[in-house]
Amino acid sequence: MHSIWAVAVNTIKQAVRMKIAAVFIIGLLVLLGVMGVSMTGDGTLKGRLQSFVSYGLSLMSFLLCFLTIVVAIYSLTSDIKQRQIYTVITKPIRRFQLLLGKLLGVILLDVALLVLFSAIIYAITIYTPSFSDASEAELAEAKNEFFTARAGLVPAEVDVTKEVTSTYKKLEKSGQLDQLFGHMGRKEIIARLTARKQLERRAAGVGHELVWEFDNVKPLDSNQSLFIRYKYDVSVTPPDLQVYGKWFVGDVRQIRYGTKIETRIAEFDSKDLVRTFHEIEVPGDVIARDGYLAVGFRNVPLNNTVVIFPLADGLEVLYKADTFGANFLRAVLLILVRLIFLASLGLLASSFLSFPVALLFCLVIFFTANFSGFILESFDFLSENLADVYSYTLRYVIASLPQFDKFNPTKFLVGGRLLSWTLLAKAAGIMIFIKAVSLLLLSLLIFSYREIAKITV
Amino acid sequence: MEYAIETFSLTKIFSDWWGRDKIYAVDDLNLQIRYNEVFGLLGPNGSGKTTTLKMLLGLLYPTKGRAVVLGGDSSEPKISARIGFLPEESYLYRYLDARETLDFYGRLFGLERQVRKMRIEALLDMVGLKAVANRPVGTFSKGMARRIGLAQALINDPDLLILDEPTTGLDPIGTKQIKDLVLELAKRGKTVLLCSHLLADVEDVCDRIAILYGGRIQSEGRVKELLEQTGKRQITTGSISDTAVERIKQIVQNEQADCVITSVMDKLETFFIRIVAAAEVAAQATSGAVGARQIGGFLAPETRVENILDKLVSASVSEQTPPTEPSTTEQVRAVEASAGKPDAELLRELTEPVGPAQPRPVVKTEPVESEATQEEQSDRAQSQESILEQLTGRTTGPDKDEKQTDKSQGEAGDA
Repeated sequence: MHSIWAVAVNTIKQAVRMKIAAVFIIGLLVLLGVMGVSMTGDGTLKGRLQSFVSYGLSLMSFLLCFLTIVVAIYSLTSDIKQRQIYTVITKPIRRFQLLLGKLLGVILLDVALLVLFSAIIYAITIYTPSFSDASEAELAEAKNEFFTARAGLVPAEVDVTKEVTSTYKKLEKSGQLDQLFGHMGRKEIIARLTARKQLERRAAGVGHELVWEFDNVKPLDSNQSLFIRYKYDVSVTPPDLQVYGKWFVGDVRQIRYGTKIETRIAEFDSKDLVRTFHEIEVPGDVIARDGYLAVGFRNVPLNNTVVIFPLADGLEVLYKADTFGANFLRAVLLILVRLIFLASLGLLASSFLSFPVALLFCLVIFFTANFSGFILESFDFLSENLADVYSYTLRYVIASLPQFDKFNPTKFLVGGRLLSWTLLAKAAGIMIFIKAVSLLLLSLLIFSYREIAKITV
Repeated sequence: MEYAIETFSLTKIFSDWWGRDKIYAVDDLNLQIRYNEVFGLLGPNGSGKTTTLKMLLGLLYPTKGRAVVLGGDSSEPKISARIGFLPEESYLYRYLDARETLDFYGRLFGLERQVRKMRIEALLDMVGLKAVANRPVGTFSKGMARRIGLAQALINDPDLLILDEPTTGLDPIGTKQIKDLVLELAKRGKTVLLCSHLLADVEDVCDRIAILYGGRIQSEGRVKELLEQTGKRQITTGSISDTAVERIKQIVQNEQADCVITSVMDKLETFFIRIVAAAEVAAQATSGAVGARQIGGFLAPETRVENILDKLVSASVSEQTPPTEPSTTEQVRAVEASAGKPDAELLRELTEPVGPAQPRPVVKTEPVESEATQEEQSDRAQSQESILEQLTGRTTGPDKDEKQTDKSQGEAGDA
């Protein structure tokens, strides 16, 4: 342990004294300062806070990721290239201890910098409202929609596989497939049909009702309000772009089964612009004691159109599940998870590559990981023949990369969404305990069997 | 375990990119180095000396064969904790200062804080870098970096010291200091493997040598036996009259042998050291390394046993110290020195001109010196006796120089 610690301390000293860290620190400090003053977002207080946190965290995350990669790679490759490793590895230290020491050093450096910069970002964010001349309404908006950690419940996807398969077969028999879908592959046609069927379930004709049911609604404080967040899409755009609706929120089982009314059912009339997000504040006491909640929407006859709630974000029930501070902390920890993965990646690369090559290798993986979700999606609809090749090769490679975009902390903070401990644990489990550990084991294997005295190119 | 280092047909073949064999860097090497032996590995550039060392230390893996170091594999922490290694160049972390560098290596050995601190100070003192201990080693000259490299090789009080070209980049004083150190360590029961192409260094300190060429041992044996010319004799005298010289010539001619009589010459090394020592006495300021002080206390248990340093480490070390040879006459001494059992007294005399008589004014010019720790102060006080002894020893300088000349002259004759 003492030797791991000695190497870790030396790694930190190297990063600090070789001024690698200094470049990043100064750059980040300057940028954060400028951003704190100049960011305005959409003009409102909430917009300003959102853009500062979004850009501030992303910038910090990006620069620290880069720093981690550079330090991890430089630390080991320069030892090998400049041969300081000759006098280190011949001391009573095993090779895995040297690697772990380097890793520990990089992680400790990351932790220190994360603490410093996230404290700065947090402080600026928290104190921005006090220094702005925002109106009461803006302050309330910021409090309800930004300085919070709201859990979002979306309606469960309806399983429409059966219907889709039968429709597909019908179309196939009648030879209409080509006519309707051109030369698309089977997979893509199925996907389109599924989306269409699901959308049908989320459309309300004039005078019709839609009801969504949720279980396990557990707000932080039962006296606090719930928020229904929704967006309308329409089949015929109304002349004034307004959609009228009647909402009711509560335990509809009481009406359905005719039991005694224990919790109240709230009702609202609404008139909103189409294709933009709106929120209705609902008192918290509408939730049944067992956490059940139903949300209903009636398409009133005033409208002359079918009202559709888009699939991904058409309807959501939001409630405050945690504080902003706790959410921020988890967001920072999520960044740390990312950094630990990158540090392991850097060590793996430098266990068999020289500095520039290892750096290139890591950056390619880093950027791919940033867009891995997008890449995976776009490859899903390759033509049939290619898809087979792809699904047995590249797919696994890309899937084995960490998905930075999926676990992106800023999107949670900007929306005031809850970044749950479960999600954090999941990210840590996948990125550290599976991926980073495998990288580390691989690098230990390579590093233990390679000849130190041979200089790599 | 008979040998400190033993190799069994050790072979290293460097292959090209396609995996084809290209260079036999080391070819079927069978090396046996006994405990408490100073062994010299000689050879021209590219003869496989460094490759051999790297294989012994696990920096390279042998293509064939096996190396046993201190009865095991040198990559085992148990074994490597007893090895000190100085690579062909001092590869140091440029951003650490001298003291931090030694501290880092001390930590790798898991030395206790207290022990580490004491050894670092003793070693800095020994290699003469105490005054620049807080300077980043990146700013050091090659020789100074070499000294730090040497200090890191000694920080664990190793049983086996592996030195690759130890004297490259060092000034003659440093060179001599390393040679003295090697002899001193051998006297304390350590094994030293030395690899060099500077023949004079090897000749002065090694018990046995092997000459490598093309990765194979060309010749191996005791230095004395390899170099002795049985057909010649050398007589060195004090100042004698011309008539006496004539009479000696007469006697030799009666034995039917050739006879050449010349004045004794100083070795350039001896001369150089004398001049620098004089300059040091004259308190000339220098920003470089100062002359050698006493050998690191923890390496030399018998010189100052009352020292705290020694109390901490002497227990383990003194057990390994070989019984000291009874000192007899001057003649016997010279023989012993070249036979690999250097006499303690002679050694001390040899080290004296550049020894701890280092005058205070020189170091006073360095501001760093004022930061001297408390322990160091007491350390000084305790060793004052020995410093005094050596200061008084200095007054008998010429006498001492003469002895030195005698010895080197004797060896030069052998050659």
